[in-house]
Amino acid sequence: MTCAAWNSRLSSYVDAELPSDEMEAFRAHAAQCPECASAAMTIMEAKATLRRAGRRYEAPANLRARVLADAIDSGRRNVVALTPTKPRSLNWTRWAMAAAVLLLAAGLFYAINFNKRAGSLGEFADLHVANLASASPVEVVSTDRHTVKPWFQGRIPFTFDVPDLQGSSFTLAGGRVTYFHQEPGAQLVVAYQRHMISVFIFRDTPQLAIRETAFADRSTSFNLETWTQDGLRYVLVSDVNATVLQQLAEMLQHPR
Amino acid sequence: VQPASARHREFEQLALPLLDALYNFARWLTNDVTEAEDLVQETFAKALRGFDSFTVGTDFRAWVFRILRNTFLTSRTGLQAKLTVPLDPEDDLPATVTWETPETLALASATREALQSALEQLPVAYREVILLCDVEEMKYAEIAEVLAVPIGTVMSRLARGRKAMRELLRGQRALSGMFGDSR
Repeated sequence: MTCAAWNSRLSSYVDAELPSDEMEAFRAHAAQCPECASAAMTIMEAKATLRRAGRRYEAPANLRARVLADAIDSGRRNVVALTPTKPRSLNWTRWAMAAAVLLLAAGLFYAINFNKRAGSLGEFADLHVANLASASPVEVVSTDRHTVKPWFQGRIPFTFDVPDLQGSSFTLAGGRVTYFHQEPGAQLVVAYQRHMISVFIFRDTPQLAIRETAFADRSTSFNLETWTQDGLRYVLVSDVNATVLQQLAEMLQHPR
Repeated sequence: VQPASARHREFEQLALPLLDALYNFARWLTNDVTEAEDLVQETFAKALRGFDSFTVGTDFRAWVFRILRNTFLTSRTGLQAKLTVPLDPEDDLPATVTWETPETLALASATREALQSALEQLPVAYREVILLCDVEEMKYAEIAEVLAVPIGTVMSRLARGRKAMRELLRGQRALSGMFGDSR
């Protein structure tokens, strides 16, 4: 292709919208042609400048609260709407009872099998489930670690680094204070696709005697990862697979 | 069928991370703090109500941006914007138009303020496509979904919008040159 032909495709190239063979072909051409290379570079810079200038406004804090309040309101309405008529509510009760029995059975099975092997580690899985099922799974809602970290100051008796997850497949959803054997600690909630991962961080005290042996146990529905680092005990709990959990663990252990 | 609250949490998990981006887009569209906030709030409410019609696995971002844009277009400011910007025929311009390099250079070196003021002056139809492509970094196919137009139209509108942007910047430079501002 001639330079003139490439010239009309430059913006599609910069937008990464050329067919992949043409993307490759242009890269090869640009390696030989300083004019086309520098033209592409200029357009890239223009696009980057525009991106920075266009990210101008940040949602005010109260807006987040407003949309959340709305969502909670409509949630209440939905719950009420589920139980208006008698037959329906009977049906609903029956389902709820069946669900409760199942949950209880699953819980017992889980507790017996899990605690037997992993000691107090299983309690973190309980915390994970209980906290995510509560009305406010996170107390500070933010994808920004610079918001989440200061929020914990004064709320827990230690500090820790919130990892930079930008550019990874993980998204920070927020955090909350949680307790383990009367010891306050931090729970970060990290989203991976549609799964939630709890990152528990506590001071590494003797009460937290955790046997690290059996935590990646396949017979339970959760995967766990745990380690200590700078006097802090990290416990990761999620229903994502162990490989994904390890990826996050590595990001936490080796912050960029 | 999931219980309402689980569905809710799912919605929040998808929608909350987009709050800043949606608000930024709303501010650029409306040019007004209060209107932008109301627009985002209404968008969230509508999206939550319609969440059942959202197909899992499809592009949630495009879906929710589309709701915001449609809500904007039916608002008073949106209706005015539509009336005052006659959308010229889009076929008389080739879909891919080169960025003439000297002007593009000006764009790359333009100050943030100059760019923001040029973006503000752009007709909404161009402003939104540039915001979605260059600021939100959406793919053409995603933009096509937000705007409910074919991809070809996205490309030609983008080319026109960028051209208009460069012309506005050139105008600003000429003006500042006239007043002896060396920048």
